[in-house]
Amino acid sequence: MPLDTSSYSLALLRLDGRRWNELRRITAQISTMPSADGSSYLEMGNTKVLCTVTGPCEGGGTRDRDRADIRVELAIAGFSGVDRKRVGRGDKRVSEMVSTIQSTFASTLFTNLYPQSTIHISLHVLSQDGSLLAALLNASTLALIDAGIPMRDYITASTAGSTSSYSSNDESADPLLDLNTSEEQELPFLTVATLGGSDQVSVLVMETRVQAGRLEGMLAVGVDGCKQVREILDDVVREHGKEVLKSGRL
Amino acid sequence: MPSSMSQQILLSPAELSYLHTSLSSSPPIRPDGRSSTQFRPLIAETDILPGTNGSARICFADGTEAIVGVKAEVEKSRARYTHADEDGEGIVEEDEGRGLNEWVELCVEIPGMRDDDSMPVFLAAMMSEALLADGEFTRRLYINRRFHWKLYLDILLLSQPSSYPLPLLSLTTHLALLLTKFPRLKSEKDEDPLFDDDWDASVFLYPRSSTKSFDRPPVTLLVMSVNGNIMFDPSKEELSVAEVVLAVSVGERSRSEEGDMVIDSGKTRDLRLLAVRTIDPPSRLTHPGVPNALNTATGGSAADTSEKASGQRETMAEGSVWQPPRGGAKRHQIAAMIQKVLEQGGVAEEVMAGLDGVDLG
Repeated sequence: MPLDTSSYSLALLRLDGRRWNELRRITAQISTMPSADGSSYLEMGNTKVLCTVTGPCEGGGTRDRDRADIRVELAIAGFSGVDRKRVGRGDKRVSEMVSTIQSTFASTLFTNLYPQSTIHISLHVLSQDGSLLAALLNASTLALIDAGIPMRDYITASTAGSTSSYSSNDESADPLLDLNTSEEQELPFLTVATLGGSDQVSVLVMETRVQAGRLEGMLAVGVDGCKQVREILDDVVREHGKEVLKSGRL
Repeated sequence: MPSSMSQQILLSPAELSYLHTSLSSSPPIRPDGRSSTQFRPLIAETDILPGTNGSARICFADGTEAIVGVKAEVEKSRARYTHADEDGEGIVEEDEGRGLNEWVELCVEIPGMRDDDSMPVFLAAMMSEALLADGEFTRRLYINRRFHWKLYLDILLLSQPSSYPLPLLSLTTHLALLLTKFPRLKSEKDEDPLFDDDWDASVFLYPRSSTKSFDRPPVTLLVMSVNGNIMFDPSKEELSVAEVVLAVSVGERSRSEEGDMVIDSGKTRDLRLLAVRTIDPPSRLTHPGVPNALNTATGGSAADTSEKASGQRETMAEGSVWQPPRGGAKRHQIAAMIQKVLEQGGVAEEVMAGLDGVDLG
């Protein structure tokens, strides 16, 4: 999709009217599915993701007997993109995202508390418009919190890109926060996830080429975005907790 | 996901026998206290995904949840060979090729199951059968002689199926199809199709009329029977003792005005039976109970050979211990079940009325 990114420098507004450091609207719900142990629904702009967590349940511990296995299933619905496209489970991009999510939570959850058991994270992508991996990580965090599985802190993720392309030597290029599909197709971008509100980066994925000098700025913006996302997710969890207390479901 | 338990029944022969007796008493006593034609409560949401042509989500009270998204693409129709007469002019019958079954693609995804597992394949086959049965549906996808809409129906079951998911998936698909909209066609006849880019001007796949009755996509209902008692929307426990399980697909047609004059005014809907399938009840896989006469622990004598044991089972009095059902569905029973669905004031009418209650945005 051809996209004229040069218009950015004129008004410093992106195609959807945001400034460089603005997130899209993030809304989330937790405990959306009563039959699962934990579930969440997250929207980041037009990216919509559902996550359900089952477990920890018996079985597993095949890799390490002293800690729980984390199994991630990711299904991208055929109707999620602009064109209808079926993505199989063996798709390379899908399995890469699955292994990223799996290893992230393996190091964040206290899996040693559940030896010989399995935690299933099942993710459904209903609609995609950029920052997919970030949305999946955020939704998984919420569902795992809903399931009551102890973890070190929130894993929150966001994406960051750089406005000028690889070839142009424009040093004053602004980094952008939270990219949508058309921006992702046009610009170099990275996905970053941090632990809690800290600067500890737990995921950093970048598949495009960018000048090394730009990386620092992008990373700084991404980490800053993660902090904003954490505040939003924390509000969601607290709001849900208040509701549960009020309704006396405990 | 934990291995799917939906197909296994973890009930003892004594529990099965208890369920069977309570369901075969008249009126049947169902484990959740419903009447025989009562459905479980559900929550429906429509138009949840703006990126699709139509979408719906339904949550059943037992926690199972499904999402259906409908997406349409314009596709070039396959060139057809026409019979040519001596002058070399093609004679194309007006009606021919107005709808082909390949214009619809339906796939069902169930967590923890592969795409080629028997359950999703069977469910997809049953639902597309109902959709394509009368050939009316594919006609709606016709644009002109050279182009048609290709419709993709993606059905996602989000949770583990706790009972047979067919009614859930079918109801969700029904709502999604009811909301499916296409952009309005601006071009004429056999031109390359050009569409109005104003989404507010789009047209429904199933156009609504101001009167109550209009064409509706099919709904597939699950009906089961135990000992002559017919029950709707069976739960997992009830299915585990079912003798006959039937999937009945019903469609509704709008009623022409002159038809109204002729038909007596009592009937409010023109329901049509589209497809019926028997489903192998899972109760066949259960273990039979051991009657006292065959149990050494209770003073009986166990049969020494397996032939003898099965011979004794055959002659055993009905209703003493649990026995998996044998034989197929009786014809009069199937007829009674279909009758119960279709009759005036029957379940199908009630379901359609219930679906009318869903806010279609």
